[in-house]
Amino acid sequence: MIDTKAEQGRNSLVWMENITKKFGTICALKDVSFGVEKGEVRALLGDNGAGKSTLIKVLMGIHQPTEGQIYFEGYPVNIHSPKEAREIGIEAVYQDLALVNLMSITRNFFLGREIVRNIGPFRFMDLRKMATICRTSLHDIGIEIRSANERVGSLSGGERQSIAIGRGVYFGAKVLILDEPTSALSVAETRKVLSYIENARDRQLATIFITHNVHHVYMVADSYTIIRQGHNVGTYRKGELSEEDIADLITGDRES
Amino acid sequence: MIKTSASWLSKIKPWLPGSTIAAPVAVLLVVLVLFSVFVPKFFSFRSISGIINAATLTGALAIGIGFLMVAGEFDLSVGSNLAISGYIYGTLTAAGQPFLGLLLALVVPSILGAVNGIILVWTGIPSFIVTLGTKYFYRGMLWVITTGSMLQTVDTLPIDKIFTGRLDVFNNLVSDANFRNSALWLILLAFLFQIILSKTKFGNHVFAVGSNPGAALGQGVRVARVKIISFAISGFMAGVAGILLFSQFHTVRVSSGDGMDLYAIAAAVVGGVLITGGAGNIWGALVGALIISTLRTGVVLLDIPFIPADNFEAIVGVTIVGAAILNMYISKRK
Repeated sequence: MIDTKAEQGRNSLVWMENITKKFGTICALKDVSFGVEKGEVRALLGDNGAGKSTLIKVLMGIHQPTEGQIYFEGYPVNIHSPKEAREIGIEAVYQDLALVNLMSITRNFFLGREIVRNIGPFRFMDLRKMATICRTSLHDIGIEIRSANERVGSLSGGERQSIAIGRGVYFGAKVLILDEPTSALSVAETRKVLSYIENARDRQLATIFITHNVHHVYMVADSYTIIRQGHNVGTYRKGELSEEDIADLITGDRES
Repeated sequence: MIKTSASWLSKIKPWLPGSTIAAPVAVLLVVLVLFSVFVPKFFSFRSISGIINAATLTGALAIGIGFLMVAGEFDLSVGSNLAISGYIYGTLTAAGQPFLGLLLALVVPSILGAVNGIILVWTGIPSFIVTLGTKYFYRGMLWVITTGSMLQTVDTLPIDKIFTGRLDVFNNLVSDANFRNSALWLILLAFLFQIILSKTKFGNHVFAVGSNPGAALGQGVRVARVKIISFAISGFMAGVAGILLFSQFHTVRVSSGDGMDLYAIAAAVVGGVLITGGAGNIWGALVGALIISTLRTGVVLLDIPFIPADNFEAIVGVTIVGAAILNMYISKRK
């Protein structure tokens, strides 16, 4: 087991120190420390309701920590909204919440960061330019699309994940947060999405891979952090534990 | 990979994001052709202009409601806002202040619309409940302020002509026609709001908020702001409807526009706006209002024995459900 505080700490790319989050009297997170390094894929594992989502929502600025401090690139930061998280380079790719199904790939790709020309009071989108950039930048990281005007809803789950990942990479994300990216995918599609994650790692991005199923992440992760009932059970390097050991830690069948 | 072709279809496609504009236009044409075949004298400039005039108020409301429905909400209080606007405009024009009247008749309903949005955003109560409440509250307050009395003027003001005067440039070309300026205003406003919806950054956010607010929030879209502004637009168009009402009829009652909110929602649905949000087209909502108006006129002219002419609700009902099924079918095929 890695002693997380000694091994990582405030010099990591992201470091969440002693985070406690209470909702009224319910304590969702108790003194959890968690971080990720440049060029690292970190698995965040835990059963449903263990506190994974709460921890990530704190990082994304959706929740404010009751206690604790987040450090980004060594500096203490207070993140108040997903927008602020994104501005410093933290990009979340949620299973159902990443893309708008009824909108085209281009419109999704640039959602919230549209290329505009101001004419009077209106900010007109340069849809042609947006479509070109969208297609070429996805192509650059190995993602091929049929048409940038295609609706996201007609794409497969893997294609959707890849577009959300590609968007994060294009807009200069330093940290990608993937929430159960492969849980609904076929074997072939999972392999593809994992290859995009490896591609992101090669570009020195930090990746947080959230899942409750160790099987999904075992191949690609460099290290694993396990959360149970709002506590950090431990952080382990690749190869330290078998899949079964990790699964036992997630469920609490084995203590660390 | 499909290359963007220079065909006309791909040229107009960006204007119709996720829209089903073709379906409502086709329905309108089919309805027009059917009535033209079966109803003598139906196909005349007189009935066509009559259909358009009758669709004016619903059409104005449908532009605003359609916009709001794309943002994933709807507004039952537009009928009340229409009456409020009518009184403000009427009272101030009668007092010799037409421009102040015009301004306030647009600003007050916009604010009341925004209030709907603010309540919704703060409390998280669904728009159906919020606007059901404000629908009664707004009209009740109007009753209190006006003590329930009808407002009527006899003088015609020059400004009325601008809004609802006869469109004689066109009427003189063909016999029996009675087109009015109000149609031009609606076309202008539909054009404006469709451009905002399909071409601007704000419009992109409206679609995103209506389809998947969580994803929109995740991408830094200010969801609450988008919703409140969309509610204000719905109120603004109710204000326009109130101005058109008063300048044409010089009469407004506390009950004016009651029930028109549901017709406007029906028009938007018939026009292909998705009731669950995220897809739709302002032109479609306007065409929806025309379809309903055409059905009303056609059924009246059909003169079915034993059925009073104004009992056309059954047909509107069938149209709404039929249109919803058609839209669902089309959006699934895409």
